[in-house]
Amino acid sequence: MDLGSILYLGVTFGLFVIFAAIVIRTYSRKNRDKNETAKYRMLDDD
Amino acid sequence: MEKPQYNTDIVKSFVHWSVLWGLVAVLVGVIVSIQMTNPEMNFPPYLTFGRLRPIHTNAGIFGWGVGVIFATFFYIVQRLCKVRLWSDKLAKFQLYFFNTTITASAVTLILGFTTSKEYHEMEWPIDLMIIILWVTFAINIIMTIIKRKEEQMYISLWYMLAAIVGVAILFLVNSAAVPVSFFKSYSAFAGTNDANVQWWFGHNAVAMVLTAPPLAMFYYFLPKSTGVPIYSHKISIISFWSLIFMYLWTGAHHLLWTPVPDWIQTLAMAFSIMLIAPSWGSVINGYLSMKGQWHQMRENYLVKFLILGITFYGLQTLQGPMQSIRSFSAFIHFTDWVPAHIHMGTMGWVSMVCFASIYFLVPRIYGKELYSIRLANLHFWLALTGQLLWSISLWIAGVLQAGMWNAMNPDGSLTYTFMETMVEMYPYWWVRTIGGTLFMLGVIVFIYNLFKTAHNGEKTASLAATAEGRA
Repeated sequence: MDLGSILYLGVTFGLFVIFAAIVIRTYSRKNRDKNETAKYRMLDDD
Repeated sequence: MEKPQYNTDIVKSFVHWSVLWGLVAVLVGVIVSIQMTNPEMNFPPYLTFGRLRPIHTNAGIFGWGVGVIFATFFYIVQRLCKVRLWSDKLAKFQLYFFNTTITASAVTLILGFTTSKEYHEMEWPIDLMIIILWVTFAINIIMTIIKRKEEQMYISLWYMLAAIVGVAILFLVNSAAVPVSFFKSYSAFAGTNDANVQWWFGHNAVAMVLTAPPLAMFYYFLPKSTGVPIYSHKISIISFWSLIFMYLWTGAHHLLWTPVPDWIQTLAMAFSIMLIAPSWGSVINGYLSMKGQWHQMRENYLVKFLILGITFYGLQTLQGPMQSIRSFSAFIHFTDWVPAHIHMGTMGWVSMVCFASIYFLVPRIYGKELYSIRLANLHFWLALTGQLLWSISLWIAGVLQAGMWNAMNPDGSLTYTFMETMVEMYPYWWVRTIGGTLFMLGVIVFIYNLFKTAHNGEKTASLAATAEGRA
């Protein structure tokens, strides 16, 4: 495996970790309800 | 909290111009479809299929599509952020520059100046104009979001930001070229690299112009039209991020069976299949948002456009990944199946959502009720019938074409000559022209309805407040 391949795999893995972190954060107990407030707020009178 | 005074004039101007460019796009589309059935309708050198086809695609994607993006984003961003647009002057400059750029594109394309890169045909001076235009737009939207008074960002804002950043990166990279004169340049990339960059751009132009912005509009205008919130903001967020992670790897599925390295093709194929998940995340979120509200499909013309739009998005995002599979691609690539697929996306998904958005906006920017809901319903059926005739006829044509191309005699020679396969296409091309004409009639009804709303619509106090920027 050359340096380019390692870099490629590293970037892919890094992106996966970021994505996993976003999923965990979105569904965490702390943010679960907070994340839904925007959909009600947007319906408020402008 | 003190109510901000929103800028409505700029939304109105972009609505006018995008609708005009939309009419140009469908009119030229019908003309080029007639040129296929009647080659004698080509008038060289300017009015030939080769010159007019890129005008049709660019007027459609950049004049109509991007024009509606400008109009709706300026409307949405102010309301979701609860602040006025960051700079009215910049927006005004953007309006004039947008029309100058689209006009310059049309003129140079009809004169035959082209890079020959699909969806990126304009030569380098116009590329520079497009970059200035996009940076202007990006600054205004990003600055408005930065100074927002709403803490949490609604999903539409995420899609808007993705579109802004995505288009900037794609366009800059694919624009890299060496100019040799004012009207001629050569790509900075060579061979398969050039092809790979071009289709990385080409397919992601679909992502960042024809997917992310219509989703931003859908997520905003569906709840505003039904009066009930979307089913899940969390699902929309996860769909968004997975879409963003996956989309940018899929471009090489346009290059299956080419000298591009096999692993890149396989990677693109795999990511294209994976893309079904985030796409359908939005589709299912849209359908579940209609829980208990399905009666609105009968009663609310806006919902009709939006739900049919998201349905076509769902179909499009199933068909697209199927086409990216090597064996299926080998069968249908270069056939009429492919334009049928694209037009389900542009006429079915993108335009349906754009029509709904403009129908939502026009009463609010003029302060008047829509002139005729019956005409809006007529428009809906013309658009739907036209789109279905267009796509179904060419799917059948594509399968027939592929079958004929692949047919072999026992001795290994081809059963049909290329000309024989072409002759078989004529009935389907005629149906396509009829479909396109119906769609164009729908657009004319749409424009008439908007015009009458502006001039004869009934004034109401609540809509007038929105029109004056007070709501």
